[in-house]
Parts: sequence; C-alpha cells; structure tokens
Amino acid sequence: MKKIIEIEHLTKEYKEKKAIDDLSFNVYEGEILGLLGPNGSGKSTTINCILSLLNFQKGSIQIFGQEMTPSSYEIKKEIGVVFQEVAVFEELTVYENIDYFCGLYIKNKEQRKQLIEDAIQLVGLEQYKKFYPKQLSGGLLRRLNIACGIAHKPKLIFFDEPTVAVDPQSRNNILSGIETLRKNGATIIYTTHYMEEVEIICDRVMILDHGKIIASGTISELKKLTQIEEKVTVEILGLLEKEINKMKELQNVIDVNYQNGLLIITYKKGENNLPKLMEYFKKNKINYQKIYSERPTLNDVFLELTGKELRD
Amino acid sequence: MTIFKTFLKILNKNKGIVILYSIILIFFAGFNLQTNDNTMQFEKEKPSIFIINHDPENTFTKEFVTYLKNNSEVVELEETKEAISDALFYRSVNTIIIIPESFGENFRNQKNPEIEIKCTGTYESELTKMMIARYFNVAKVFFSISSTEENFDKIKEIVEKEMKIEMTSKLNTQELKRVANYYNFANYSILAGCVYVICLILSSFKKENIKKRTIISSINEKNYNRILLIANSLFAMLLWFFYCFISFFLIGDIMFTKQGVGCMINSFVFTFCAVTISFFISNVLTNKNAINGVVNVLALGSSFLCGAFVPTELLPESVQKIAHFFPSYYFINNNEKITSLENWSLTNLTPILTNLMILLGFSFIFILFNNFLSKKRRKSS
Repeated sequence: MKKIIEIEHLTKEYKEKKAIDDLSFNVYEGEILGLLGPNGSGKSTTINCILSLLNFQKGSIQIFGQEMTPSSYEIKKEIGVVFQEVAVFEELTVYENIDYFCGLYIKNKEQRKQLIEDAIQLVGLEQYKKFYPKQLSGGLLRRLNIACGIAHKPKLIFFDEPTVAVDPQSRNNILSGIETLRKNGATIIYTTHYMEEVEIICDRVMILDHGKIIASGTISELKKLTQIEEKVTVEILGLLEKEINKMKELQNVIDVNYQNGLLIITYKKGENNLPKLMEYFKKNKINYQKIYSERPTLNDVFLELTGKELRD
Repeated sequence: MTIFKTFLKILNKNKGIVILYSIILIFFAGFNLQTNDNTMQFEKEKPSIFIINHDPENTFTKEFVTYLKNNSEVVELEETKEAISDALFYRSVNTIIIIPESFGENFRNQKNPEIEIKCTGTYESELTKMMIARYFNVAKVFFSISSTEENFDKIKEIVEKEMKIEMTSKLNTQELKRVANYYNFANYSILAGCVYVICLILSSFKKENIKKRTIISSINEKNYNRILLIANSLFAMLLWFFYCFISFFLIGDIMFTKQGVGCMINSFVFTFCAVTISFFISNVLTNKNAINGVVNVLALGSSFLCGAFVPTELLPESVQKIAHFFPSYYFINNNEKITSLENWSLTNLTPILTNLMILLGFSFIFILFNNFLSKKRRKSS
C-alpha cells in the first residue's frame, strides 16, 4: 500500500518535557487511522507537527513522499483539517464561509462553486446556506466546520474530535460523511474520545501515551492484546460478600465486581465461561434475573494499556 | 481575491460604524462651522456713561460733553445717589462723570480743576478715563498758548481723529479657521474609524483557529498578510478621501487654496499613522469586545488632550505636555499652522514639515513594534 505519511523518530520537547518521544509510524492511502490517547498524550502535538504548525527537535515527516515544511504549499493543497474548535467567520453566511476556505486552495470560481455545493451536500447543510453561524445549533456548526475543512476535496484529512458536544443526528451525519470521504479516496486521521466511533469507522488505531505509541493495529488486533476475553453481567439481588469471594476463585476469572444489584465478572481467555457460571448459580441455588456476555471493547483495551479512562 | 472579497464582506457588515463616525464628524464639524469666529474682526467699542453736569452753560464744558457723547453711549438715569449706585452695581453704566460748577472757566484759566469720576473698574470705564485724559491733555496744550474760541475746532480735530487699522494679511482667516476646525475634528473620526474597523476586521481574520486554517492552507502566509495590509490601507485611504470630499461640501472653495490642500495632505499622513496604530492595537488586543473601549479611550482621549475639541491654549500646561506623546497633537498643530500660513517659504514650512516627519516617525515606531510582536509570537508558537 502507498504511504501517504511517513514519520520517523519524531521528537518534540517543551523545555524539559518530551511531548513526543521518538515517534515513528506510517499512514497508508485510503485508510482511516484513529489516533487515541488520554489528554496530554501527544495527539494534538503530533498533528500540529505533521501540519508544520509546530517545530520539532528531531525526526522527519514526509507527506506524499516529500518532506513537509511550512512552505510546502503543493503538499498543503492536498491537506484538509477539521479542528475541534469551530473556526468560521461570524460575519459570513454558511455558503460564504465555505467559499472563503475553499478559495484559499481553489482559485477557479466555477470549480469552487461545484466543490462548495458538494461539501454542503456531504454535511447536509442544504437548507442553511444563507444562515449565519450564530443562527446554527452546535451540531450544525460542527458540520459547517467540517465543510470548511474538506470543501477543496483534499487527499489527506485530519479530524480532531469533530463530534464533541454534537447531537446524535449530527454525529451520524458526520460519521457517514467521513465514510463517504474515504470512499472517495481520502486518507483520514481521526482523533476522538468516543471509542464506539473508532470501532465504527477506523481501519487502524494507534494509542498514544506520554508521547509514545503504546499500541497500534486494527481493532481486532488491539483487542487481542488484552487479557480480557469476556465480561459477564448478571442482574442479581442480595448477593453476600462470602459468595462474591467464592466466585473470584472460579476458573479464568480475573475480577468480580458487585454494585447496585449488578454483578460483573471479567474472564481471561478460556472456553464456556457463561455455561459454567450458570451451572455454578444453579448448583449454589443463586437466583438471578438476567445474564448476558460481552466481548471486550476498545475501551477495555485502552484502560488496560494506559491505566486511564480515555477522558482522564 | 478571496481574502479581499471576504475583507469587503466583513467591512460591509461593519459599515454602520463607519457611517456613525462620519455622521459625528459631519454633525459636529458642521455645527462648529456655523459658529462665527470674530478673532480677526475689529469693532469700535463705546463705553456707557452718565454725566452730571453742574456747569452746563460754559462753552468749554459744552464742547467736552459733546466729545463724550460722540464717543460713548450716554445712559439716562435719575440723579439720585441710590440710582447711581444701583446702576454701577448692576453694570448698566460703566462710568459716572460729575462736572463741578465753573469747571470750564477754571480749565481755561489753567487752574487745573478736577471732575469727579465714579466707575465700575472695568475695561470700559478705563477706556472712558483714557478718553477724558486725552481730551484734557490736548486742551491744556492749546489753552496754554491762547484762550481763543478757535481752539475748540483744533482740539476736536485732534481728539476725534480715528485710528486707521489696515489689514496687511490677505488670508481669509475666518474661512481658514473653519478648515482648521473641520480637520481638527476629523482627528477623532479618522482615528476612531480606522482603529475600530481595522481592529474589528483583523480580529476576525486573526482568530486563532481561522489563522491556523489559513497557515495550513496552500496560500503563502506573507501573501496573505500583504493582502490584509493592502485591503486595510485601502479602506483607510477611502475613509480619508471621503472626509476630504465632505470638507469640500461643508467648507467650499477655500479647500482649493494652498492651505486647504495642505490640510488634506496633513490628514493623509495622519491617516497613514492611524493605520499603523490600528495594526499595532489589533496585534496587542486579543479580546474583540475590548475594541470599543480602546477606541473610546484612544480617539476621544487624544482628541481632548491634543486640542481637537478645545483649543490647546485653554488646556493646562501639564496636559499640553502630555499631548506631545500623541500623534494627534502634531496633526492638529499642523492644521493650525497650515491655515495661518501666508508666506510659503521653506523657513515657514519647516515647522509644518517637522510635524509631518514626527507623524511619519510615529508610524515607523508602530510598524517596528508590530514586526517585533509578530516575530515574537511566531517564535513562541
């Protein structure tokens, strides 16, 4: 596969603190790479370095096979960025805003007109072309923000938490828009705090902590990294401490947690955990209302690898 | 073109501010131009007097009273002590002249008789005293030589000889004063208009994320900054042109004189300085909501301190010293100098050129500050 971004030994230091520590990775054509990490893990610094918004001490960054510098205008032509904060002119309408940002890349008025229409259609803002940003809801503003970043049809797009504080309808719209962009051939780097989004749209995930890659691969590859194989949740009332301790000694059990009538048993790799547990309940005459089993989520992987919740 | 078009769109959104400052200029300058300026007009002033004559039949006294009546406003009063005191107290009369009995006879015989004078101590009463002293001095000279009746004609001829004042200046001072007033007031409108609009527009373009998006786009950052500089300068020049255009309407043909053109050139240099100040403020100011406050403090403050609304001569010395630190002072000072300049020699032009150089110096300093701040910001990021 063709490499779109090649990063080698990237190191960025702020005074004595290393924000990025010897980072090396590639991004391949047509993929959606999810960049995950707790706050301060180096995600934004990495993106800012790639975009030449920040200087760095060591390493090299190549985009489309060429070295990326602040004056690499030919490379920049093919890059689109959607920032977390909405970056639009309050004085301009939806259409005028997209026109301005698209105009920074595309000089031809006719070509631009078509691109603006495509971008508006992609994010579903057809009815709001003449609206001013202050007339839009949070979700619609985010969609406008996206349209401004991708209107020029870039080959490489950075999405920095584009769905923060967005209503479910807008979120679905944004995610399907990103899918469409990928189908149209764009390579996407996507950072978010929402694991379910990563699981839905990302082909590959990279988890950063303290400026280093602590795990990288496809979602199923990452899930294999965790010891957790299965999580069984049981709705059960009046369970005694003695019984909980007994359950901890069951085969393959890593952890038992009982709170507010909900028993969660975490299993490591093993077979027939659920039937064995049901058998145990029957044998010990423990009554329960509901029982179900879950595979480990990306959140479990993240928690196990970083020791933190993604939002910490 | 996209950036320039967006600049115009944002400017269009803020056109209300430009219109507001223009209305303020037209209203106040127009009002100011209506008030007459009498500083260069001369008018003979007549003090008000009341004469109590106890020697009415004497020829000398009659001539003296006629002289007084010709050169003063004689007020009718009751000859009571109370009425006279009231008239002096309420300033309805400046001087009371009491001529004693046999005054004329005694004067002609050179016995140095004295008249009694009661006055308010004002400038007008002093004028009356001087008039009386002048008459007596001239009369004394003639009557010391002879005591003939012909003396009265000669005395009359001398004391009533009017002083001729010839105006050597060919300047239309009253009209030029209007030019100076208009352009002095334009100090506020130019400064407030430029700073407010430029800062407002630049604050939109320099919003952190918009700037970020621009930097990562394929447009050259230097080009981008250059376009913004040109667009803002163009706006300022249009504002200047508009205010000059209005001055032709409000003041008229006098604007075609050297003084009128001089004031326009002076305001052009000041507008350039205002643009550099605006860029500096937009560089320092990060909060869009603070622009209004800064404009009021800067434009109103410097206009008051530097004499745009009140002549500097009326301001305390300490304030005048502070005013030297503002470009407005040199702009307003130049307006006054240009409108009173008749001989356009290099010597006379030197102080005006010096003020223009100081204005350009201010601009240069602000440009340096701007560059320094921009570089510092770029380095820190």
